[in-house]
Parts: sequence; structure tokens; C-alpha cells
Amino acid sequence: MSTVTIIAGATFREAVRSRAFLGLLGLFAAGTLASRIVGWVSSTDGNIVTTDLVLSLQSVVGVLVAVATGTALVQTEIQNKTLYTVLSRPVERWQFVVGKFLGLAAGLAAGQGAMLIIGLIYLWATGADVHRWLVLAGLMTTVEVLVMAAVSLCWTALTSPLLAAALGLATYALGHAVAGLPPLLHHLKGAQQVIAGSLASLVPNLGMFTYRNQAAYALPLPWDDLAIRLVYGALWIALLVGITISVIRRKQL
Amino acid sequence: MNTVEFTNVSFAYRGDWLQKIRALKQVDLTVPAGCAYGFLGANGAGKSTSIKLLMGLLHGHSGDIRLFGKLIGKVNLRTRLGFLPEQPYFYDNLDVGEYLAYLGRLSGMTPAELPAACDRVYQLLDLGDLRKRQLRSFSKGMRQRFGLAQAIFHKPDLLVLDEPFSGLDPLWRARFKEVMALERQRGATLFFSSHILADVEDLCDHYGVIDHGVVLEQGKLADLMGQAPLALIGSGPAPAEVTAVGDGTWRSVFPEAERAARLAALPAGAQVLRLERQRVALEDYFVNRIRSVHGAGKRLADANEANEERAEA
Repeated sequence: MSTVTIIAGATFREAVRSRAFLGLLGLFAAGTLASRIVGWVSSTDGNIVTTDLVLSLQSVVGVLVAVATGTALVQTEIQNKTLYTVLSRPVERWQFVVGKFLGLAAGLAAGQGAMLIIGLIYLWATGADVHRWLVLAGLMTTVEVLVMAAVSLCWTALTSPLLAAALGLATYALGHAVAGLPPLLHHLKGAQQVIAGSLASLVPNLGMFTYRNQAAYALPLPWDDLAIRLVYGALWIALLVGITISVIRRKQL
Repeated sequence: MNTVEFTNVSFAYRGDWLQKIRALKQVDLTVPAGCAYGFLGANGAGKSTSIKLLMGLLHGHSGDIRLFGKLIGKVNLRTRLGFLPEQPYFYDNLDVGEYLAYLGRLSGMTPAELPAACDRVYQLLDLGDLRKRQLRSFSKGMRQRFGLAQAIFHKPDLLVLDEPFSGLDPLWRARFKEVMALERQRGATLFFSSHILADVEDLCDHYGVIDHGVVLEQGKLADLMGQAPLALIGSGPAPAEVTAVGDGTWRSVFPEAERAARLAALPAGAQVLRLERQRVALEDYFVNRIRSVHGAGKRLADANEANEERAEA
């Protein structure tokens, strides 16, 4: 077993046993139950509204877990000195960062999987239409959560955990804001358009992973479109983890 | 062969803006293989910085640092290292067995080697009953025990311990010394810093004193102890400059170099009852040595006097 895998395994165990992780799963379960109330009072199809809410809740809770655990991943280790006993062994710093991220990613994916299963069982039990596009929406949400974990990891390498959490949430808001930017860019001209487009490309476009609303209406997602979105997410994760590694390699511990 | 060698090592931390804080200044340090080396220094002297450089936790130094004769830099060298940081912290949600297995695997142990290694450290540090406990519930002393367990778990050739006795009660301090002595018997080199100088005296055969980033001196502890003066207790006619002890006996203290002359100069009829070497407490030596270089930690009366003189000036 490689060094990265060993670190990832321990990080996964540490992550899924953390109180924040278990607490937010509980919050998802409670929110899922409450979503039915919104469905009842909705003027449109109650089942569609409930489905949309359950999928959105999975995203919100997932992002909160990703930001909370991602920002604690490296900086807290430095502050608590827990990484001393790891980095004093034959472990390169890049192996440490990649192992930590993969472990956290596995934990987050397990959490997303658990939330998706709970959500689908609930929707089935309440008579909503359960189809494969809901699973695909869950997958896209998982990719969004992993990108947010990488964003948080990167911020925490650069600043304190608290500020990193705030910047992580700000990046989340900006990431969804840039999804609506292309139509607005047409109103700009020349340098303004180039500058606005360049600035927008500095944050991941999280709209690429938002397929929840279409999935609630069982609208299909073409496979080539899905592949582009997955590659886009993977590239952002690789870039952010790469930046984190270059910062941590220079860090005095 | 030397296990650890610092040659002309300097290191500075980045302070505010462009300011640099020099933590080590041309440090030369030699830890011979198989020895127990006590690394002494006041707070902020540079002990932890030296240890962190050795462990690869800090970088950007000038000069050479060698481990087992090779320049540090290759992480594979750390397979042979065991490290207990000062006031160690560990992940909260792993239990003792999982944590040891995790760190053991990182040090290159195979899964087959883990059970025997666990049993060894459980026995040495009484951790058997705690093997399924998560470390979040551990007290400071228990964390320190786990810290030593993880450091010796993979039977390293060099044990680097930063303040290993911190937070331990006298019983566990004694046990730690036993475990460290056993590790040394096994063939490991011990390199540790401590403020409890009596412990260094008990365990070490080599010592080094660092102050303000400079190694003031280092060598064999026996040589240091050998510099202690002799005390001659006698009876009958007394030579000059002696202290009366009572019952007609007297006591004369002189350096080793004067031994022959002093004995030859004894008055006729004087009887030598005992000639012994006075014990030098390492603590006294350390305090005097540091104070001889600068005024840090000087006696309160002296500090007050200096303050008054400064006020008058």
C-alpha cells in the first residue's frame, strides 16, 4: 500500500467519525423530513418540489461539510502539530496533501452516497417518481462538493481556518454567480468583456454541476455534456490541490 | 560514525515584513552513534529549532546537517528515525491500535509486523487496556505515553525526543527512563532535550549546551563531572585554609590539578580519612554556564540591582 493510500485511509476514518460530519448528516435527515411540508404547501407539483428540495439539501449540507472539514484539514494540523508525527516519517509533503485530500474526498463521497440513499428512499416512500436522473444529479452534486473541498483546502493553506471558511463560502457564492455571467457578458464590449470574462474564470463555475432542477423533472443530461462537466471538475480539483502542495512545500512547520 | 552532525548550521525565521529572526548561528553539533545525548538550553535557546531542522519540518538553513552520515533531504532516511515532539497532539478520532498501525505503516512496517510491535509498546508503556480508546479522551500524561510508544514503535536507530518528560508524574518519569534505557540497549541512539537536568544526568553520557542559537559546548558528561573539585577530609594537624567539620576533623577542597601538591603539603601527623570527588549537579553547572554568557534568568536579587543601577544612570 502506498504512502498516499495509507494517509488517505486514516483521514477517511478520522473524517467519517468527526462530530461535524455526523451532525450534518443528522441535519440532512431532519431537513429531508421537513421538505415534505414545503411540498404540501406548494402551489405546483408537491412531489417535484420535495425532490428538488431534497437534492438541494444534499448540496448545501455537502458543501458545509466540505468547507468545515476542508478548512480544518491542513491548517489545523499545523496549529495542533498533529502532522509532526507524520512528516517526521518517510513522507513527502505532496504525499501528505494528496493523501489528506483523497481521504477527505472519500469521506465526503461516502456522506453524499449516504444522503442520496436516504433521500431516494424518502422520495420513494412519499410516492415521488424515483429515476436514474436523480442518481446522476447526486453524482454531479458530489463533484461540486469535492471541488468545494479542494477550494477550502487551498484557502486553508494560505490563511487561517476561520478566514478560509469565510473565503470558501464566498467562493461558493461567486462560483454560482459566474454561472449566470455569460448572458450578461454580451452586454459588455472590448476590454470590459475580456476583463470580466477573465475574472470570472478565476473561480470554478459551480453552475456546471447544478443539474438538480432538471433531474427533478426527469430531463436527461447528454453523456458528452456529463463527461465535459466531470473533466472540468477534475481539472479544478487538480489545480487547487497543486496550489496547496506548492504552498505547503514551502511552509515552515 | 556519528548519527547526527550539524556543521556550521545557521537558520533564521521570517519575522514581520522583511525582518529575520536568527534562531541558530553556525551551530556545530555531533551525536556519536549509540550514545545518549542530552541537549540542554533555556527556553528559546534553539533546541526545538535544531530538532525540527533535523526532522525536516523546517527548511532553508545554511550549513550541512547529516543523519547517519548522509545529508538530510532524502525522506527515506527518516525510516530509521523515531520522534516525540514537545507537547504532542494526535488525531482525536483514531484509537491507539489504529494510530500505531497508521504510523508504523508510514515508517515502512509490513502489516505482518504490526501485532508484535503493538504488543511490545503496549507492554512497555502500559497501553494494552487503552488500545481501543480514541485519543480524544486521553490526559496529557497518557498522550505523552502514546507519544513515546509511536516514537519507538518501529524500533528506530535514532530516537529524537523533545522534552520527553513534560507532563509526567514521577512514576511515569521513572518508567520513561527505563524504556529509554532499554531502547539504548537495543542499539538506538538517544537525542533528547530536557529542562529536567537530573534526568539528563541519569540517562546521558554526552551533552550539549545551546544558548541564543549558539552551541556553547558539548562533550562527554563524564569529562564534565571529572572537572569537579576533590574534597579531602582529615583529622589531626590541619593544613592552612581548611574548614573544621567537628570532632577534630577538617575538610579541604581543591582542584584535581593540585591533588599531589596538597597531599604532599599535609602537616606531620595529619591523617587522611577520605578523599572524594565532589558531585557537580548538572543543574548548577548549566545555570552558571548560561549566566556567565548573558544575564537571562539571573537571580532576582541581581536583576533588581541591575535595574536600580540602570534607573540611577
